[in-house]
Amino acid sequence: MPSWPTETKYISHSTLRIDAVPKLTGQARYSSDIQAQGWLYGMILRSKWPAAKITSINLEKARAIPGIKAALTVQDGERTVRYYGEELAAVAGTTKQACLDALRAIEVEAKPLPHVVHETEAMKDDSPKVWEGSPNASNPKPSDKGDVDKAFAECAAVIEGFYTTPVQLHHPMETHGSTVSWTDDGVTAWVSTQGVFGSRDALAGGLKLEQSKVRVLSEFMGGGFGAKFPPVLESVLAARLSREVKAPVRLMLTRFDEALAVGNRPSSFQKIKLGASADGTLQAFEFDNYGTGGLGSGGTTAGGGSGVNLPQPYIYRVPNTRVKQTVVAINAGGARAFRAPAHPPASYGMECAMDDLAVKLGMDPVELRLKNDPSEIRQREYKIGIERFGWKEKYKKPGSSPGVVKVGVGCGGSAWSGGGGARTTQGEAQINPDGSIEVRLGVQDLGTGTKTVIAVVAAEILGLKPEQITVKIGDTRYPPGPGSGGSMTCPSVAPTVFDVCTKTLEQLQTQAGIADARGENWFSACKKLGVNPLVVHGQWQPGLSDSRACGVQFAEVEVDTETGMVTVKKITCIQDGGLIVNKNTFESQVNGGIIMGMGYALYEERIMDDLSGVVLNPNFETYKVSGIGDIPEIDITLLNMPERGVIGIGEPVTIPTASAIANAVANAIGVRVSSLPITPAKVLAALGKVPPSTVSKT
Amino acid sequence: MKAFEYATALSTESAQQLVADSGQFIAGGNDLLGRLKEYLADAKIVVNIKSLPGLDKIETGSQTWSIGALVTVAQIENHAEIKKVFPGLHTAAAEVGSQQIRNVATVGGNLSQHSRCWYYRHRDTLCLKKHGDLCYARHGENRYHSLFTGNTCISPVVSNLATAFAALDATAIVLREGKETRMSMAELYANAWENPTAHNSLKPGDLILKIEIPTARTHSAYMQVSEKHEFDWALVSCAAAGKVSGGKISQPRVALGCISPVPHQVKAANDFLEGKTLDEATVSQAADMILKDAQPLEHNGYKVPIAHALIRRTLLQLKG
Repeated sequence: MPSWPTETKYISHSTLRIDAVPKLTGQARYSSDIQAQGWLYGMILRSKWPAAKITSINLEKARAIPGIKAALTVQDGERTVRYYGEELAAVAGTTKQACLDALRAIEVEAKPLPHVVHETEAMKDDSPKVWEGSPNASNPKPSDKGDVDKAFAECAAVIEGFYTTPVQLHHPMETHGSTVSWTDDGVTAWVSTQGVFGSRDALAGGLKLEQSKVRVLSEFMGGGFGAKFPPVLESVLAARLSREVKAPVRLMLTRFDEALAVGNRPSSFQKIKLGASADGTLQAFEFDNYGTGGLGSGGTTAGGGSGVNLPQPYIYRVPNTRVKQTVVAINAGGARAFRAPAHPPASYGMECAMDDLAVKLGMDPVELRLKNDPSEIRQREYKIGIERFGWKEKYKKPGSSPGVVKVGVGCGGSAWSGGGGARTTQGEAQINPDGSIEVRLGVQDLGTGTKTVIAVVAAEILGLKPEQITVKIGDTRYPPGPGSGGSMTCPSVAPTVFDVCTKTLEQLQTQAGIADARGENWFSACKKLGVNPLVVHGQWQPGLSDSRACGVQFAEVEVDTETGMVTVKKITCIQDGGLIVNKNTFESQVNGGIIMGMGYALYEERIMDDLSGVVLNPNFETYKVSGIGDIPEIDITLLNMPERGVIGIGEPVTIPTASAIANAVANAIGVRVSSLPITPAKVLAALGKVPPSTVSKT
Repeated sequence: MKAFEYATALSTESAQQLVADSGQFIAGGNDLLGRLKEYLADAKIVVNIKSLPGLDKIETGSQTWSIGALVTVAQIENHAEIKKVFPGLHTAAAEVGSQQIRNVATVGGNLSQHSRCWYYRHRDTLCLKKHGDLCYARHGENRYHSLFTGNTCISPVVSNLATAFAALDATAIVLREGKETRMSMAELYANAWENPTAHNSLKPGDLILKIEIPTARTHSAYMQVSEKHEFDWALVSCAAAGKVSGGKISQPRVALGCISPVPHQVKAANDFLEGKTLDEATVSQAADMILKDAQPLEHNGYKVPIAHALIRRTLLQLKG
């Protein structure tokens, strides 16, 4: 079994991103920057109806717009659309404005159907049906473990709460899309994707081409958070347009489109009952949850991957549990994987319940967690966090902070079952006689620093500097890498590069007849290769990576009890990631996760309009994400545990932030705001300060 | 957006001639370009007014200051004298949008911007303000909407500067059909109170030239509460101004934004405050008077306590 070196120069130290300069200077070419020879703009026409029978789509007037080279329908014949924003047609043209004009010129005949865009409405018997003939809500049976009723009867303290979380949108900085060129030789697609090989296979399938005829590239991409896995309808449409116009077509979605049709995190409406014995040992848990993942859930597909079902009672050991989860379909865009699917809402519900129970028991919330959390790693992390955060000095009885602006603290823990490596990952290195080296993997960098991780591991094994390694990724002509999901990229890539470079070094040493070709011997060894470069393949090896990262976070907030404004002052994060490959990019991921978690806590929410069925906030003006002025001091402590191997942490670091902030708000004001996002309106409502409406709706 | 002609005007006369009945003026363009792109505005011609002479000046005076309509919001924010003489105006400017927006946004544009109601701004909802049949917000998502209105539309005025100018009793000098017309902030928005399709009282072709601010009110303050800490619209904004000496206020004025189609002012409250010592009880009583007739909708009642807090805080801040 291979093992990581124990004395390291780069691994577990901090190396700046090797592509920082091209990214900061704008030289890095993202999918949306690709300008293939003779390219045209592509654009998608979307349904204006939340539900309708589409009877005809006439493209003639669109085709007549000057500059328009092609127009096509997504699907022939009559069809039913089930959400505002569903794709109907696409056009390609020489300018953006020509395409915009063409979209307005397309004539769509439709018979509007009744729609429903809110979960609670959709669950009613007389609600319009998203799927004809099927109920909107699944009808699950509760699943029991132990004797819940008996256990509750014997509890010393029981709390009941109703905790809700909104639909959250991914909104990566770069929108979805691609440039696709379809020629007689096949398809070349520059896709903003979380999986170049997955995109290749999806495109080949969608276009009925051999996989070998499709090449997907993604050297730089601007984030995905789970929303950029194939299938990729927008890339298929770009390809169909490209075939028709015989030119490359760049089809990038707009920010408006991003809010409609390319995924979201499902909502949750969690009714939780939690009980413990007098010493705080959890005894019973009852959970009744419903939520929506948009149109792709409900009766026909109940439980089918919509991500509505939550892993409750999350990280806690409870002997008696009853869990019931209902999946509700509405007329809205479907859910997709979203950074730690199902975990942030589960954490929010459960950690709020834990704090409410701690209050009822008169117990310190951290003590209650230490009592019921079976993870030894999180136990360690809480103990470190108590010191670093100053928990014992800062934690006061809920609502006891004096004055108008009250301070409060809270905490929460995270677990992530993923983060392990994909055993199919392969890579190769090419050593040139002049000593230059290229490491190639068919993986992509979501923005997490994958290229830097590859350079760090290669440099460590070969005794070189990271900047000496030319890293090539994002191309299906390279050896296959995994999709970037489940926090798997780093634990897939690092062991693969370890293997590639170990084998490369062995072969170089054999060929050059040098016992140790590393470091200062490198160039003389490479010179002995003669004229031909050395290319060596390698693959993922077991024993170098693991899964199941554990983390805890603490939050300190200020709440203005007259205006409802919440200000996060500090987040302290203690995070395990096994062997830390590169501290710098690890910490960047923690920062990003916390900032996103803050948005989930305080700002983010997709807002649907009942009457029109549209998304009301399809922009950053009213879909609010954390900005630089909102971001608090972030204190990070990393547990380096080389013995566990490399573990991905992109997802777990965002899980407990909202929970910790929500608990800190409750601690500050002495009442629970039981709904995310925690807006001034909800804080004031929880404090009983909001007057009732005096106006009738008409 | 639809195609339009573009022209740069070098005099106010030619600007008005060019724009005629079917054109739009452009200065910073923050509001207009958004509306053109979403097909909310029609323009046969877009007339660039950035080169009009003399409208980009800040002129000081012992009785009155004058701020040209083409002065940028960033210029107000960065003006050391304004910060001293009209601190409320300074803060209001500093809270507008982002630095990038403030760099190009002009005083005239900030005052004449349209409603931010998300039904008005949405390309596929034909609301009352767009000459449709109903106010969607009244039936739907009205968390950002008005507590006061004189008509069926409930979208509020969101201009920070209008709120600050109202408290300072500033006057807009508007060129209308070749003549200079003086309008108080109340008059500048009065039509929006009456008419659901109006955003302000400006008619097509009207051009704001400058704002005159009397220096009589030596103390002023502005505060807003937003959901985010920066680059966010106010949920409620509030400005207060007056002359404070020995703890007593004279010529007091309080104005609020984002809760009415006009800067919300209650004369009775201003009268009540005249000559009073600014203490907790007094400012709280003034706040009660200002918000007495508020009509909370289903989702915006929270604006009442925020407004109440901001009235009290801005008034108390006047004490220095």
